[in-house]
Amino acid sequence: MIRPDAELLLDITDLHASVEDQPILKGVNLQVRSGEIHAVMGRNGSGKSTLSKVLAGHPAYRVTSGTVRYRGENLFELEAEERARLGVFLGFQYPVEIPGVSNLEFLRVATNARRLKQNLEELDTFDFEDHVHERLKVVQMDPAFLERSVNEGFSGGEKKRNEILQMALLEPVVAILDETDSGLDIDALRIVAGGVNQLANANNATLLITHYQRLLDEITPDYVHVMASGRILRTGGRELALELEQIGYDWVDKELAAQGVA
Amino acid sequence: MAVSTGEHVLATVQQRGQAALGRLGLPTRKQEAWRLTNLSRLEAVARMPVNGVATASDAPPCLDGVVRLVLDGVNDPLEGVTLPEGLTPLEPKELELALGHTLDRCGLSDDWLVEFNHASAQQLLALRVCGTVPPLEITMAAASGLIPTRVLLVVEEKAQLELLQVFSGRGEAAHSHLMEVHLGQEAQLNHGVLACADGVAALFAQLAVEQEPRSTYNFTSVVQGWSLGRIEPRVVQVDGQASTTLKGLAVADLEQQLAVHTWVCFEGPDGELDQLQKCLAAGRSHTIFNGAINVPRKAQRTNAAQLSRNLLLSDRARVDTKPELEIVADDVRCAHGATVSQLQEDELFYLRSRGIGASDAAALLLRGACQEVVDLLPTHASAWRPLERVLEGLAS
Amino acid sequence: MTSTSTRDLVSQPYKYGFVTEIETDKIDKGLSEEVVRLISSKKDEPEFLLNFRLKAFRHWLTLDEPDWAALGYEAIDYQDIIYYAAPKQQAKKASLDEVDPKLLETFDKLGIPLSEQKRLSNVAVDAVFDSVSIATTYKEKLAEHGVVFCSFTEAVKDHPELIEKYLGSVVASNDNYFAALNSAVFSDGSFVFIPKGVECPMELSTYFRINSGDTGQFERTLIVAEEGASVSYLEGCTAPMFDTNQLHAAVVELVVLDDASIKYSTVQNWYAGDENGVGGIYNFVTKRGQCRGARSRISWTQVETGSAITWKYPSCVLQGADSVGEFYSVALTNNCQQADTGTKMIHVGPRTRSTIVSKGISAGRSSNSYRGLVQMGPGAKGARNYSQCDSMLIGDQAAANTYPYIRSQQPQAAIEHEASTCRISEDQLFYLQSRGIGFEEAVSMMVSGFCRDVFNQLPMEFAAEADKLLALKLEGSVG
Repeated sequence: MIRPDAELLLDITDLHASVEDQPILKGVNLQVRSGEIHAVMGRNGSGKSTLSKVLAGHPAYRVTSGTVRYRGENLFELEAEERARLGVFLGFQYPVEIPGVSNLEFLRVATNARRLKQNLEELDTFDFEDHVHERLKVVQMDPAFLERSVNEGFSGGEKKRNEILQMALLEPVVAILDETDSGLDIDALRIVAGGVNQLANANNATLLITHYQRLLDEITPDYVHVMASGRILRTGGRELALELEQIGYDWVDKELAAQGVA
Repeated sequence: MAVSTGEHVLATVQQRGQAALGRLGLPTRKQEAWRLTNLSRLEAVARMPVNGVATASDAPPCLDGVVRLVLDGVNDPLEGVTLPEGLTPLEPKELELALGHTLDRCGLSDDWLVEFNHASAQQLLALRVCGTVPPLEITMAAASGLIPTRVLLVVEEKAQLELLQVFSGRGEAAHSHLMEVHLGQEAQLNHGVLACADGVAALFAQLAVEQEPRSTYNFTSVVQGWSLGRIEPRVVQVDGQASTTLKGLAVADLEQQLAVHTWVCFEGPDGELDQLQKCLAAGRSHTIFNGAINVPRKAQRTNAAQLSRNLLLSDRARVDTKPELEIVADDVRCAHGATVSQLQEDELFYLRSRGIGASDAAALLLRGACQEVVDLLPTHASAWRPLERVLEGLAS
Repeated sequence: MTSTSTRDLVSQPYKYGFVTEIETDKIDKGLSEEVVRLISSKKDEPEFLLNFRLKAFRHWLTLDEPDWAALGYEAIDYQDIIYYAAPKQQAKKASLDEVDPKLLETFDKLGIPLSEQKRLSNVAVDAVFDSVSIATTYKEKLAEHGVVFCSFTEAVKDHPELIEKYLGSVVASNDNYFAALNSAVFSDGSFVFIPKGVECPMELSTYFRINSGDTGQFERTLIVAEEGASVSYLEGCTAPMFDTNQLHAAVVELVVLDDASIKYSTVQNWYAGDENGVGGIYNFVTKRGQCRGARSRISWTQVETGSAITWKYPSCVLQGADSVGEFYSVALTNNCQQADTGTKMIHVGPRTRSTIVSKGISAGRSSNSYRGLVQMGPGAKGARNYSQCDSMLIGDQAAANTYPYIRSQQPQAAIEHEASTCRISEDQLFYLQSRGIGFEEAVSMMVSGFCRDVFNQLPMEFAAEADKLLALKLEGSVG
């Protein structure tokens, strides 16, 4: 939902970033306000995933110029865990498996770290168990998953649902979901989308990074941005996504050429 | 002279041991097996007075139903203990036949550590296991001087045993431990070793295991905090067709040096080995792993897998790993792998992106890495809080 | 296997087993300081080189022969070897017409024609007969590009300053027993120098032919690639069949500066001894490359099929930041051969990378050991190593041993090693045969498949040779 006077949560200005000395982001400009849902689309290699990692603070990525303000604060002055505690959430495209670390324990520690920042009381083991069982319903997940190691042996769909479960527990202010729909069948997709919709409200915002339009059938975006060659090429409403579905991304090359960019 | 200590049997062993030590001299850097060892520390142990003090230490109360035996290198561990049915001390005649038999099968003649134990040990615990017996716990504590201990276990056909050995060490003390195990056909032994010390004491532990066909040997070792630690499990499947699992966790910090030398030999077909050794080196410590696997011609259809995972936790720590495979039989599956790295960046970032601080994230990952092996110790190990001990030992 | 299951250990007769009757200048057997001086004077060497030899010899006297390798061989009597034998032709001939026709014929028979009409057009060859270089093709053409490719002896005469600068800088004479011996008595070898920015326009190749039965062979090769230069070099070797064992102790040094690269390939087909292990070459080689410059690269590719006993560990010292070391090897042992070979990748500089792919094939009653070392020093931040060692066992009497040493002191360096064993299974053979493929060819296909990753690294001309060579060596050993 677009409200012009809603809080500016994320203000990205001329962002440039590289990984292993290879420039990927070449001047990204984006503004996300409270209550909005943005979709960022583009081909592989356009820089969509890099954008999400840079915002979350992944150490392999280096910001070379530009700024990002999160609720007025300079995001890059904050360590990755600080950003998370302050409400920036990254849903990974390929959630990593961490054998040996219990899912339940991990969720509890993360939840409490966030709660502390929200000036809420930490939950002890018992209270947390109740708390998490409530949230499981959002993603229709079996409690048995809590006993296992983080993401270990989880199917693709189960991993993505574990990400949304974490969203439900951490209650982020800006949720960046990196290709959350990739590798999901339609049922899993509906569950994940349902979870996202349930959690979205007037006080937070969601940035959906996606390759395909079908996620946007389930989650209605307020803005759709097309990314190419490390920049946002075009911004539009919902219809832009439908248009992309019809005509694909070839026009992007022409536009880039016209702009004199490789 | 109680029968179970086999004192007079040990007397001849002692003589031979002392003669052998005289002949062998101290190990030197030229010998491959000792090339990386901190020899000055080894020498210090060799010169320790035998039969040091073995304090009761901070052992937790023994769990219900568990049989606990205390080895201090001197006193009879069976005195005043009523052994449950199925556990009996070996008769002197059986002892004479059995003692040293497994050492020979495992190629341990003229081995310095073995002869060192031969020369020093005055106490022997020799037990026969029949049927299914309650879990057994053998504790060895050292607080000053050298505690030499020796154990011989004969596990009869189809018998089952859960055995936990706990070594602890404090101050200028050391353990010299030698254990022989004979597993009869279809016998099953779940064997755990928990060895934690204060960073000053030393540990030498050798284990020789003979497996008859269709027996199962599951060995889990968790070793941490020894200034010089060396543990050498050796297993021979005397005619293949048996199952061997060796899982180990070695954690070293500060200036410690911890070495794990394993050897598995298949003297017959259809044997299985599943081996995992995890070494974590922090501070300025040095971990060493040497995993030998021998698959001669008669060991067709052997299925062996060995994985050596090493974590370097600081800039000054060192890791040495050397898997060694010698294979002649051709219809076999033998794979091994080794990795050396630090804590994975992706895993750390995942946790941090969920608001968990960098050092907490590292701690969670370390805990997970240790837990994978610690969880495999026999159930009654929980009384000793093994995971906490290991993690406490990591100063960082 | 089916009716062809007699384990026939006779491989295809070694067709390079002939001896060339030619007048040779030999000195008496034995090794002493006089012999070292004699060798130096016969080659008319400058003072610095004589001193280099003497220093190495004196050091060698203080060393004990190594015995740790998993080999068992009869002790070598170092006084029972001739340390210098050269075909009696005077100076290196300016034109091939002046070279003794018998020598040309020899190389012809070996499939390395040297005459203008028949030579390979894109490969320059330095032909070395009994450790003396007799001819080098395309020297002028290469000189046009500033590339120096000649025998070591010529290099000492024409470019002494380069020799003095680089000789012994990668493999010091006190590095090991055989390096010390070689440094004292080396006879000849190849020298390659690629100046700044030059990509050598042709493949360079040295072909070693041992002819005399009782001489030791001590070649010395030095290849230097300056900044931005690159070269691909191939070493080939054969020897006649003799009843006694011969010693081959060579030293190869490679130096690459910033952004330079050297690709060094070896297809080695020494005489392996007969099926009972009589005769055959003792091959002890020290090969080392130093990646001195940033972003430099050294690639060792080898196919080893001959030699009774092999002891060689081509290594890379990765000093320059972002430098790369690679090792691709196929080692085949059959009958009674013994091989103890592998590589050492020593990571010194940051972000250095190394790749090791080793394929061992053990047949007959042979013993094939891979011994490798991957070492990460404290300066190797961000370095990476990946190693893969696979063994193929043919028959159940041959041994495949793997000893990969790994040592690390740098937490930000990652090492990954994996190894597996396999065999040629009856099921796989039968499948190929049921599709009309003959038994021998099926075996050959599977072995080639196993070695694919390594053969892909060989220069094109030699990849096909390598395939055939393996097939030849394995004939009769499966079944």
